[in-house]
Amino acid sequence: MKKADFKIGIIPVMLMVLLVITIAGTAVGAVYVPFFDTFRIILKNLGLLKNAVFAEGQEPIIFLVRFPRVAVAALAGTALGASGAVMQGMFRNPMADPGILGISSGAGLGAVLAIKLGLAAVSMYYMPLFAFTGAFLAIMAIYLLSYQKGKVPVLTLILSGIAISTFLGAITNIILTISYDYQVKEFLFWSTGGLEGRRWEHFRLIVLPVFISVVLMCIFSRDLNVLLMGEEEAKSVGLNTGRLRTVLLILVSAATASAVCVTGSISFVGLIVPHIMRLLIGPDHKILLPASAIGGAIFLVGCDLISRVVAVPYELGVGIITALLGAPYFLYLLLKSKRAGGAVI
Amino acid sequence: MDNIIEIQKLDFTIDTRKILHDINLSIRQGEFVGLIGPNGAGKTTLLKCINGINPAEGLVRIKGRHIKTYGDKELAREVALMHQNTSIGFPFSALDIVLMGRYPYLGRFKRESGEDHKIARSNMSYTNTQGLENSPITQMSGGERQRVLFAKTLTQETGIVLLDEPTASLDITYQEQIFKYSAELTSLGITVVAAIHDLKIAARYCTRLVLLDNGAIAADGKPEEVLTSENISRVYGVNALVYRNRITGLLDIYINRFSPHKKSGRAHVIGGGGSATAVLRALYEQGYTVTAGVFFHGDSDIGSAEVFGVKYLAEKPFCEISEELQSENVYNIKNSELTILCNMPFGFQNMGNLQAALNAKKLVIIEDEKPEVRDYTEGKALELYNRLKRTAAAVIPSARLHEVL
Repeated sequence: MKKADFKIGIIPVMLMVLLVITIAGTAVGAVYVPFFDTFRIILKNLGLLKNAVFAEGQEPIIFLVRFPRVAVAALAGTALGASGAVMQGMFRNPMADPGILGISSGAGLGAVLAIKLGLAAVSMYYMPLFAFTGAFLAIMAIYLLSYQKGKVPVLTLILSGIAISTFLGAITNIILTISYDYQVKEFLFWSTGGLEGRRWEHFRLIVLPVFISVVLMCIFSRDLNVLLMGEEEAKSVGLNTGRLRTVLLILVSAATASAVCVTGSISFVGLIVPHIMRLLIGPDHKILLPASAIGGAIFLVGCDLISRVVAVPYELGVGIITALLGAPYFLYLLLKSKRAGGAVI
Repeated sequence: MDNIIEIQKLDFTIDTRKILHDINLSIRQGEFVGLIGPNGAGKTTLLKCINGINPAEGLVRIKGRHIKTYGDKELAREVALMHQNTSIGFPFSALDIVLMGRYPYLGRFKRESGEDHKIARSNMSYTNTQGLENSPITQMSGGERQRVLFAKTLTQETGIVLLDEPTASLDITYQEQIFKYSAELTSLGITVVAAIHDLKIAARYCTRLVLLDNGAIAADGKPEEVLTSENISRVYGVNALVYRNRITGLLDIYINRFSPHKKSGRAHVIGGGGSATAVLRALYEQGYTVTAGVFFHGDSDIGSAEVFGVKYLAEKPFCEISEELQSENVYNIKNSELTILCNMPFGFQNMGNLQAALNAKKLVIIEDEKPEVRDYTEGKALELYNRLKRTAAAVIPSARLHEVL
C-alpha cells in the first residue's frame, strides 16, 4: 500500500517542480527580474493578484515575452511526454518516440502544405489540422511497415521511422524550395527555431488540442496496461486491440502535431521522459501517463532554460539540448537491449 | 441447454494452409477436456477459435449463442484463456496482473472496486501467490509467473476456462498443482479445456480426451478409450504401448522410438517375482518373438508380458507347476534359439522351471545376486542351478544383457 501511495504522491511533487522551473525559466533572461517578482507578475496578469506595482517594463517582458515562451515549452513537453509514453506502451517497445519515428516530420510536411496552399492564412486552425493529418499518415505507415504478429521489433521500427522521416523531410524541403519568401517565413515563424519568439498566439493555437488529447490518453490508461500483456493476452480479456490502437494513434498524432506546429520537431523528449518515469514509478499507465506528461513539461522547460544560459549571449536551440541529452540515453538503451539478446523490450 | 461449448464444421486456414478442418465437438458443463496431439496438430489454434481470437469458418456456440454475436468484453466474461509463454516485459506487480482479469467487468470510467480486489486476492491465495502481491512479474520464477497468470485467468470468473499448455516448463510439483486446481474447478461446475503435452497427466486428470491429428479429431472419449496403443502409435508416429501401471493404477505409456528392427529369432524367458520385466522389454525392443513362463498368477512379470505382447504360461499361485504346463514350457524352450534365466528366487513351486531350462539350446543366465541368497529349497535348487551354469552360454549381470542379444 505504501508503495502505491508513493507513486500517486509523485504527481503533486512533480507539479510543484514544474511550477518552480516555470517561474525560474521566466525569471532568467537579459533583464534581471527577481524570482518572486516574476511569480507575482504572472499572478497579477492572470488576474489573481491585484494592486501590485513593478518596475517599468518588467511586466511586458515577463508576461508578453518570456512567460508565453515557457508556457509553450511546457505544453509541447506535455504533448511529447505523454505521446512517448503511449507509443512505448502501444508498441511494447521503449525505443518509440514521436521524433525518432518520423511522426514529427509527417506533421511538419502537413504544416508546410497548409501554408503553401494558402490555407493557413484563411484560418489559424488549418495548419494544426494539416499537421495532424500528416502525423497520422506517417505513424500509420510506420506502424504497418514494422508491425509483425503482435510485436514491433526495435530494428524494424527504427529503420522504418528513419526511412519515413527522411522521405517526408525531403518533400518538405522541396515544397519550401518552390515556396515564396513570405511562405517560408511563415513556416519558419511557426514550425522551426525551437522556442525562440514563441508568443501567446502559439500557446492559444495548441492549448486545447494538447489538453484534450492528453486527457483522453489518460482515460485509456487501463487499456494500455492490458495491451502491454501482449496482443492475444489483451484480446482474451475482451480488449478490442485494433480499435484501441487506432484511437491511440489518432491521439498521439494530435498531440505530436500540436507540438510540431509551434516548436518544430524536437526529438528525444518522448523517449527519455517516459522511460525515466517508468524506472521511478513502474509501468502502470494510470500514473505513468500523467507523470510523463508533467515530466515532459518539466524536461522541456528545463532544456529551454539551459539553452538560454549555457552560451550567453548566444541562444542554442532547445532541440540541440534535448538531442545532446537524449542521443546518449538512446544509445544506452539500444546497447542494453542488445545485451539482453536483442529482445523487443 | 446441455452443451456449453458447441463446435460444428469448424475450419481454420492461415494463408492457404488448413490448420483445422471439419472440427465437430460438443462439450458439456463441468467437463475437463484435454486436447492432446503432436506438435502442430492444432491444439492451441482450436483453443483460440473457442475464445474468438482466431476467426474461424463454421460454427462456435458458447451457451447456445454464436460467438460472433458476443461483444468483446461479454465474451471475455464467459471464456478465459491462459496463454502459453506469455512474456511480460514490463515490471507490473502480481496484483496488477491478476486485476487485469477484471478488465471485462469494468466500464471505462470505473476504477477497480473493493470487490474486484477481493476476487483477485482470493484467487491469489487459491494459487498460493498471495505473498507475491507486490513483486514485479519480471523477477518471478517460471512457476510463480504461471501461477500468477492462472490466478488472473480465474479472476475473469468465467464459466469456461481454456488452458494452453498450462504446465509447459514447470516443475513436476507445479504441474500436478495446476491440474489439481483445474479438476477442482470442474467440480464447481466450471468447464475446463486444456491443451496438454503430457499424455500421462492428461489421462490422470481429464474426464475426456480429444486427440487431434493434423487439424482433425482422431479420437474423442474417455481417457482409456482415446489413449490406446493403436491411437498413440498412429498419430504420433511412434511405437507406443499404453498400459495401466500396476504400481500407481494410472494409465502409463511406453514409447519405443525406433520401430523394432526385426530380429526374427525366438526367445524364451524364465522368470518370476518381477525379475523378467526388463528382460522382456529388452527382447521386445530387439524384435524377438518371445515366450515366457512359467509365471504364477499375480506376478508383476505377467503385466510386463501382457504389455509387450509376450505369450506366457501361468500357474495358480502357491501350487507346483502342473505336468501339462511343464511340458508346454519345455516345448517352448526347445523351440527357442535363446533361453534366458532371470535373476529370480527359487522355491519348491518353481523348481520345474529350472528343470525345463536344461532343454535350452542356448542358455543365458542373469545373475545379479548370488544364487545362495535366492534359494529357498535348502540347496536342491542351487544344485540344479549350478548344473545349468556349467552348460550356460553366458552368465552375466542384467546390465550386460544387451551383449548377448
